[in-house]
Amino acid sequence: MKQQCASPLSEEVLTEYWARELEGEREAAVEEHLFNCSDCGTRLKTLAAMGAGVVELARQGRISGIISRTLLNLLQSESVHVRLYTVSPGETIPCAVFPDDDMVVLSMRADLTDVDTVNLRVTGPDDMPFGEALDVPIPPGSSEVLWATPGVIVRAMPSTRLQLTLQAPGRSAALGEYVLDHHAQP
Amino acid sequence: MRRVLSAVVQRAVDTSDGDLARAVTAGMPGLADAAEAELYRRFAPRVRLYGLRHLRNEDAALDLVQHVLLMTIEKLRQGAVRASDEIASFILGTSRTVVIDLRRRERRRAELLDTFLPRQKFAPPEADTHLDLDQLEGCLAQLSDRERTVVFLTFYGERPAAAVATEIGATEGHVRVIRHRALARLRTCVTSLQEPS
Repeated sequence: MKQQCASPLSEEVLTEYWARELEGEREAAVEEHLFNCSDCGTRLKTLAAMGAGVVELARQGRISGIISRTLLNLLQSESVHVRLYTVSPGETIPCAVFPDDDMVVLSMRADLTDVDTVNLRVTGPDDMPFGEALDVPIPPGSSEVLWATPGVIVRAMPSTRLQLTLQAPGRSAALGEYVLDHHAQP
Repeated sequence: MRRVLSAVVQRAVDTSDGDLARAVTAGMPGLADAAEAELYRRFAPRVRLYGLRHLRNEDAALDLVQHVLLMTIEKLRQGAVRASDEIASFILGTSRTVVIDLRRRERRRAELLDTFLPRQKFAPPEADTHLDLDQLEGCLAQLSDRERTVVFLTFYGERPAAAVATEIGATEGHVRVIRHRALARLRTCVTSLQEPS
């Protein structure tokens, strides 16, 4: 029956339901509502489609930016081909991407003691801005920051040298500076 | 009675779920078919979403739709559904029962696969996202790294807010706020890209 929902479920509740955070009576009540209400069902369908799209992008390695170690482990366990480079402060490492690589991840090692968040700045030749990540949360006990780029993007890049600077907000000294010497495949 | 039901089915779109259920149970030729079709049209999307939520697999969710709605229609035809006005609750209850059974069978199937066949050869089929992945990727790129991490851990990692909080060094409440804000921005972005210019 076509009718407006008199008491629509909030977006938060729909998300909690979809994320399996609701249990028992709360879960049952939401399901009862959804089976009686096409309006809320349509909203849940949109959320589900976004979720399915996010899953598909992850499976294709199409994730850009800073990622967590848990996410990296999940991707690797699900057969996403990850080319992983590890670099310490002050190091320059040669890197390349291969046809089967779904994504390239750079693990930047750093002393992150007492650091809650970091900013990452990536520049190309002549200090040309290449990318930036601000206010990235650092879980306690971390000793690395992981920067991911889809393989398809790296494959399209010409040979170039990238400078990465990791900084804790409010501190003048960098936590680490790293150089990636990227070699394009012929 | 026949005249009432006929009117019911002709105005199927404006008809209550209970009236449709009664029309199926009454079983009048022609009318019952239309009522069944309308019930299916109405409840198939709801059962599919329920299936996706609990089984996380598009094919399994579609199997659930067929299974549950066939059972429902059979029960209605037999007059075995007492409270027609609560047909939605009946379908939900049937969905719950079938999902429990499917899970039990899936566990058994996984055990057999692990025993006899390599798992990587039998990956589940890709989900039908109904979204343009390029657009979604662009919208995700507009989120902050913190928001994007929360979105990926929620959907891809299937992590509840408490686990995401541990992962990013935030409180559970803060993760819920970040998640809510990120999903609202994603929804707005995706919707705006889908609207005709």
